[in-house]
Amino acid sequence: MEPIIRAVELVKRYPLPEDKSRSFAAVDGVCFEIFEREIYGILGPNGAGKTTTLEMLEGLNDIDGGSAFVAGIDVTRNPYRVKQLIGVQLQASEYFDKLNLIELLHLFGALYSRDIDAMELLARVDLTEKAKARPESLSGGQKQRFSIACALVNVPRILFLDEPTTGLDPQAKRRLWELAMELNKAGMTIVLTTHNMEEAEFLCGRIAIMDHGRIVAEDTPANLIRQHAPEPPAAPLHGNIEDVFIALTGHALRD
Amino acid sequence: MPSKLQRHLARDFMKIFLRDRQSIFFSLFFPVVFMSIFAFVRGGQEPIPLGVANQSDSALAGALVDKLGEDAAFTVVSGDEAQLREQLIHGEQMLVLVVPAQFQAPSAGETAALRLLADTSQFNQLPLVEPMLEQKLMEIEREYRGGEAMFSLEIENVQALSQSYLDFLLPGLLAMMLMQLSVAGSGYNVVEFRRKGILKRLFVTPLQPRDFVAAIVAARLGIVMIQLTVLLAFALFVLRVNIIGNFAEFYLVALVASLVFLNIGFCIGSVARTQQAIMAIGNIVIFPQIVLSGVFYPIDAMPGFVQPLAQVLPLTFVVSGLRDIAVAGATLLEIVPSLIGMAVWFVIGFALATRMFVWKDVAV
Repeated sequence: MEPIIRAVELVKRYPLPEDKSRSFAAVDGVCFEIFEREIYGILGPNGAGKTTTLEMLEGLNDIDGGSAFVAGIDVTRNPYRVKQLIGVQLQASEYFDKLNLIELLHLFGALYSRDIDAMELLARVDLTEKAKARPESLSGGQKQRFSIACALVNVPRILFLDEPTTGLDPQAKRRLWELAMELNKAGMTIVLTTHNMEEAEFLCGRIAIMDHGRIVAEDTPANLIRQHAPEPPAAPLHGNIEDVFIALTGHALRD
Repeated sequence: MPSKLQRHLARDFMKIFLRDRQSIFFSLFFPVVFMSIFAFVRGGQEPIPLGVANQSDSALAGALVDKLGEDAAFTVVSGDEAQLREQLIHGEQMLVLVVPAQFQAPSAGETAALRLLADTSQFNQLPLVEPMLEQKLMEIEREYRGGEAMFSLEIENVQALSQSYLDFLLPGLLAMMLMQLSVAGSGYNVVEFRRKGILKRLFVTPLQPRDFVAAIVAARLGIVMIQLTVLLAFALFVLRVNIIGNFAEFYLVALVASLVFLNIGFCIGSVARTQQAIMAIGNIVIFPQIVLSGVFYPIDAMPGFVQPLAQVLPLTFVVSGLRDIAVAGATLLEIVPSLIGMAVWFVIGFALATRMFVWKDVAV
């Protein structure tokens, strides 16, 4: 089966903050393939390069080395065609604060030259009553759901979610997971980053664990637990993906 | 012809800008207060620009001109009579003192005549200024002849085109307002959009940068023209300011001016990373121009060393273009030099704005 997303030796370099003449690789030769209808999770501590990897796939960030293909299209050569096909929920993005939700959705529709049914989109993310509200009056969970509604205006084939549940309470988190599952059932491929282990385990068909700009492991959650859980393999499976994560990326605090 | 997307975006930007009631209010409030202050309580505190045409080469004439130059109450501009008279007619001078060629120390019992040109019907400070001049003359008399009258001041009434200092001031104030609104309108918005992550969100959609810029410029132009109209209406109907030239041409120049300053705003918005930075850089760009571009006083009345700089500032071209139309009834053909100046600044601004606006930077 042809993958819907293919990353080949992706590299992103940034100048070192303390010495601008030298650079470090925020993403250092990342390879993966994601298949249609998958929910694929990229896990990693802060600064591992998750968001940068996503931004290169989305055409937001220049690719310094390697290549990325989305639905067979080279992102570097044709970012605008890629952007037509994807829906993106960015980490903590705000919106024009003088427009209400309906107006904002129509604005996003216009960016894709599409006539949209704003109320239907709002209904899908449980925000019908907030139609006339402005984004700054929404709670954290509502904001994230509205972000997803915006990402859906172009009926994307692939949905990118960058840390969608960070900072949400358990109820809001659960609701967002259900929403992601529904969208996936309806046929959408979802790529998400997270540092929430429970989320990765619950949602993702496959997980890649990133650290220092590299992928250090990639498999289904169950297989990863089998390989990296602290108990001997004969014992009943115990531990969780968090154990895997710590085993792979170490105990040192990251920030 | 703008595309459907550009129209949609421009309409949304209009909504965003118009719903910002507070900034709309203050953008109108300050110019209105400013104009009103100048209209009603313009006192004689600041130095009064005084044109002096010295046609005499006598020592006494020289001493007189020097005395006037030393006086903090006057800003003396020297020139020949015809030129100064022309400036007076066009509202660029309010008072012109002519020292006739035959002027010299009069023999005892006689007085030498000086002529003072002014539009007596308009220059309402004349009763204030005339005694000040007389005072100066008396100082000289005291030195030369122990207080015996030497000079007589004849006032020649010159019918100026301009009705008042406010007529002179209005185009300058409007130009200044165009500059502030436009620079703020593009630059501040872009920095705000970037800071909030809105730019980044927009550019993961297939939106092209040129559509974004076109829409924001169109919306801002629309708003600025509305603001201009409100202020103009206030000046014309409440303050009874006169505009002699053609209104369509006045608006056209204002539109071009606004484009020039929107470009400059985009440049600043590209350089500045934070709201504080754009305030600082914006002030560096805006304030020297307010002082140097002849908004309040003609550039000729400024110290000689700043004049070459003052002559080429973008606001200078806008002020002189608008003022020539409003005060002297000039046509577009007659203000071609100002239009060329604006065009040059437009090209410079556009080139810099498109080069400096780092689209990839939206990710920051």
